[in-house]
Amino acid sequence: MTMLRKTQHFGLLIFFLSQKASLETVDRHFESKVDLLLNVETENPKCFAEGMRDLTCFWEDEDGGSADQYSFTYTYENEKSSECKVTSQPAEGAKTRYFCHLPKVQHFGDLYLRVFRDGLQIYNRSLLINLLFWLDPPANLTVTQTGKLGQLKVTWLPPPLKYMENSMMYEVRYTAGSTWKEKVVRESTEITLQGLQVNTKYKVQVRVKPDGLTYDGFWSSWTLPVSMTTAPKDVDPLILALCLIITFVLVLLSLTALVSHRSSLQKKMWPLIPSPENKFPGLFTVYGGDFQEWLGHSGGGLRPSPAFFFFEELPAMLEVLSEATPVPPRSVESRACNLPESGCKENEEDLQNAESGQEGWQPTPPAHWLMKHFQTLQQGPSPFSWSTQLESKDSYVTLDHSFQPKPQETPMDDISEESAPLRVLFTSAEISASHSDLGSLPQSSRSGRLSSESSLEYPHSIWPPKGISYASLTLADSGVSVDYSPMNSIRTAAGGIGGFYNNDYKNEIPKPNEPLSGCPIYSAC
Amino acid sequence: MEIPRLVAVLLMVLEWAHSGLPSPLRPICDPRVLDRFIKEARDMEVTMRSCSDGCSLAEPLPVPLTSVDFAVWEKEDAQKQAQEVQSGLWLLSEAISVVRASVTSAMLQSLLDNSHSNLHSIRQVIRSLNFQEYMPPTGGTAHEETWRVSSMPELLRVHTNFLRGKVRLLLASAAACRRDGS
Repeated sequence: MTMLRKTQHFGLLIFFLSQKASLETVDRHFESKVDLLLNVETENPKCFAEGMRDLTCFWEDEDGGSADQYSFTYTYENEKSSECKVTSQPAEGAKTRYFCHLPKVQHFGDLYLRVFRDGLQIYNRSLLINLLFWLDPPANLTVTQTGKLGQLKVTWLPPPLKYMENSMMYEVRYTAGSTWKEKVVRESTEITLQGLQVNTKYKVQVRVKPDGLTYDGFWSSWTLPVSMTTAPKDVDPLILALCLIITFVLVLLSLTALVSHRSSLQKKMWPLIPSPENKFPGLFTVYGGDFQEWLGHSGGGLRPSPAFFFFEELPAMLEVLSEATPVPPRSVESRACNLPESGCKENEEDLQNAESGQEGWQPTPPAHWLMKHFQTLQQGPSPFSWSTQLESKDSYVTLDHSFQPKPQETPMDDISEESAPLRVLFTSAEISASHSDLGSLPQSSRSGRLSSESSLEYPHSIWPPKGISYASLTLADSGVSVDYSPMNSIRTAAGGIGGFYNNDYKNEIPKPNEPLSGCPIYSAC
Repeated sequence: MEIPRLVAVLLMVLEWAHSGLPSPLRPICDPRVLDRFIKEARDMEVTMRSCSDGCSLAEPLPVPLTSVDFAVWEKEDAQKQAQEVQSGLWLLSEAISVVRASVTSAMLQSLLDNSHSNLHSIRQVIRSLNFQEYMPPTGGTAHEETWRVSSMPELLRVHTNFLRGKVRLLLASAAACRRDGS
């Protein structure tokens, strides 16, 4: 029994203590309100309601009296006045606070209060209780991240007061650390804060007050701050991957373009300076550009090379010649021969042959005439005398279709003669002999005749049956100056040799009265 | 024999008459409707608080009691509440009409007209909530507790508080609105 009693007492004690604890927490709120209201409210007594069924009025005095001195009466409209019990509490600075908690509360009707001290009225006030609410701060304040950057969602619970659900007004304030920003919220218990900095910690607080229309009152105290960090700015991995892929593709494309157009780019960036090196093997590499030496030392090599020249360029020259208009041999003949004797002779022979076989001749073999011309020119005494010979207009050859020999006729000899110089060049041991003199031409021609048969094939095989229209052009390309006046001789006829000739290039329009007007290169004067 | 036929015909006639009656109003449950009326009343009360001329009434006018004890109010049944509210509204309308007649200022007249129409609208709202219509008997009875005001600011104050209190509570707790889920 005693044990049971003890436990009972113990339980009761615990209960009361807990009650006291809860009361104390309530008191803490109460105390803060009282303190605040003392500064805010000007009228006396100061009153406020915390809920729907209470009203607390208080006043402060410094005289150090006791609660018995005071009497508090309240009167609702149309009712008799009632008395309220006054309690006192010591406050700071030798002040005393006197409280009265009204037992019965009526809203929406005037309440008339009077405070007496020692029978004398010190305060009176008429008020409406529904306009004096001092609520507790909202509960359950939560701050969460939304899906978007720079946003936070704030929610809270409204004060649990009946009839007042739609009559609340809230104020939210937040800070990132320095300044507070405030927002007012009506008719809602949540708000989304926007325009916040990313990845920053924010503190949020909320307070509540009746909206003032039906119910009114004082701002509640702020809730305890709740902190939340806004979402950090993160790089969307998908976007990053896409950017990388695009960059890679672009780089690949540019590389491909570069590689495929490498040659053209190179040409643009580092243009090739044309050099005649390939035509003169060893000229620059071995002899350092000394032409004389190169000529002297590469005699053996010279023979094939002119042949190559002939290969490459004679057809062109022949083509040019094909453009030549037909000229009666007689007129040509008249112009023939300022050549040295040997050359003239040849020409005369040719002319005769040409006359004889004029009709049957075909345009193609003017190549042979070119050959002949080359022969004449080639057989100049020396490279140096070439130029003089050229200038002296010594060797002339009239080349037109009238002179074209038929293969089966004696022009065959001419052909052979034409080809002879080549043969001579090839066969003779010394280069000087090949060039030596025109005077030796008959000899060479004779020798050429010997090998005419073989050489006959040569021109045929070498040159395409095309016309000779390209001759002059080739000469031009080889850097040789060509005098195209129909009356003028040689010059360039030897142009196949390229560098041997240093005549100026003059492309004169042939005089119309000349029958050889079309003849570009070789003309008999 | 003829009587049943007559009764049948009568019933049919009544049926048609009944169907011809205006259909019931849709319940007005939005609290903002009344809030607007309260706001206007409060603004007028504030305006008239500092009135100087023509403030006192010629004779005291009966007005309803406005104070509400929640404990008592919740115990009352809805019908009684509706009766109380409707009689109070009627009293207020009457008082405002009397004041309107004695006022000379045009602005005051317009304000009072507005209040009067608002009260009428509130009565319509109450009717829309399926409360039985109630007209207080002439002369007033002790059943409806009244008291008398002798000045216009007091009248307007009563007007405001009445709307804030009893009328608002009645409309907020109306069964028609609760069924709608608003």
